[in-house]
Amino acid sequence: MSWRLKALSANLLGLISPASVLCIWETAGALGWINPVLLPRPSLILRSLVDLVGDGAVFSPLLHTIALFAVGYGLACVIGICIGVAMATNQVLYGLLEPLTECIRPIPKSALVPVLFLFLGIGRATMITVVVLAAVFPVLISTFQGVRGLDPVLLETARTFQVRRQRTIFSIILPASLPMILAGMRVALGLGLVLVILAEMLAGEDGVGFRILDLQRSFQIRDMFAWIFVLVLLGGGLMMLFDVAERRLVPWRGRT
Amino acid sequence: MSTIGTIGEISRTGARTNRAAQLIGVRLYGLLLILVLLSLWELSARLGWVVSAYWPPVTAILRAAVGELAGGDMLDALASTLRRAAIGYIVGSVVGVVLGILLGKSRVLRLALLPLIEIIRPIPTPAVIPPLILFLGVDDALKIFIVSLASFFPVFTNTISGVAAIDDTLIQTARTFRIGWLRTLVSVVLPATLPAVTAGLRTATSLTLVVAVLAEMIAGSSGMGYYLVQMQYALRPDLMYAAVLYLAIVGYCLNRAFIVLEARFVPWIGKT
Repeated sequence: MSWRLKALSANLLGLISPASVLCIWETAGALGWINPVLLPRPSLILRSLVDLVGDGAVFSPLLHTIALFAVGYGLACVIGICIGVAMATNQVLYGLLEPLTECIRPIPKSALVPVLFLFLGIGRATMITVVVLAAVFPVLISTFQGVRGLDPVLLETARTFQVRRQRTIFSIILPASLPMILAGMRVALGLGLVLVILAEMLAGEDGVGFRILDLQRSFQIRDMFAWIFVLVLLGGGLMMLFDVAERRLVPWRGRT
Repeated sequence: MSTIGTIGEISRTGARTNRAAQLIGVRLYGLLLILVLLSLWELSARLGWVVSAYWPPVTAILRAAVGELAGGDMLDALASTLRRAAIGYIVGSVVGVVLGILLGKSRVLRLALLPLIEIIRPIPTPAVIPPLILFLGVDDALKIFIVSLASFFPVFTNTISGVAAIDDTLIQTARTFRIGWLRTLVSVVLPATLPAVTAGLRTATSLTLVVAVLAEMIAGSSGMGYYLVQMQYALRPDLMYAAVLYLAIVGYCLNRAFIVLEARFVPWIGKT
């Protein structure tokens, strides 16, 4: 009980500074200290945001962005974990794939967006490819390190009891290296989102990224800030979701 | 904390005997695979297996890359990207370490600043570029700011959790011996947080090039990102792939340099 109270009061105290920043911003705007064209008052931005949600204009671009991200990120996680486990447990596959991974990994993935746009054309498949390319390597490498760093006693015990390979992977290797896999997935989450927004901005068709850049170019700054706020909620929401999932999956993490 | 290094590091530690021979031995098939893929690329482009006008053969890309060495816009663009990335990285990391330690040590500062930082953190970097254009313009200031912002977060979050994880006995011991706060900071807190800081710096290193390039794409007049977009409009895929090749080489060298420096200055990392 007292623990809960403490957490609650900590949360309330944490609200003080954002609230005061908002107040200062609002008063400075109302008193005309900041240029209202460049930095509109929070209350005006909030009104734009309410309008956006009210007439439903927010949903189609938001869904576009979320769908691209979800498909790309999901694929990247699956591919990264599979290849990571395969490379860590099988020496032949390791030798086969390690040089290729080390060749593609150092490419700054943002540089690939225009290249792939030109080669594959501007479209959803291209954007998803970009997200997968960006998100797969953090997952792959931390999975690999997680599996390679496992206590050998675990694997030897499995061998002693003649546990089959498939079961060893699913019941021992994956659960034991889960904290590392999740650490990689966390990095991939941020990177994936960055690449989705960038791809949308460069493609100039749809999505939250496109909206933000388009509104800035047509100088509708209030609406632009409203969309950025949508993105804050999206990014923050995804990270919170990840935290919750991580605490569920790895309850012992952070307690050692 | 996330420590994501290269695959090579771990695998190499075990094998000391005949290292060179073993390195190639294990990777022989991998190197062959790359050769096969590159030849497939070359053949598919030459024989027209791929239905795209923008799929240049490997040799054409290499020719473009070598041609730029003799003098062209690409290396100038690369230099200006690297300059901005370096300044932004240094600024972002220094601010990240300083704020990380300050907020890790002071509850008041943590209450005042941490919520604000946590609100800004989840915004994907490209999204803050359009509003920042209004205040910083499209020149160096914007890109340096963006890079420092992107490298700030991993360094900061790792530093602050590193400070939080310091064994209290260390601090108490320093207090018992009446060591001043400055010396405690330099001789106790900093060395104890260094592995965490390094982990953050490593993530930041891999982010800097990505972010520098994307900032130049969205708001650019120079640099590799701008160059790539220009070449996309000019329909010059050979130059684009050559640019990606140079960026990859730079990225690889940065990563290698980081590992070497890390082994030199934080030799106790990963040995616990």
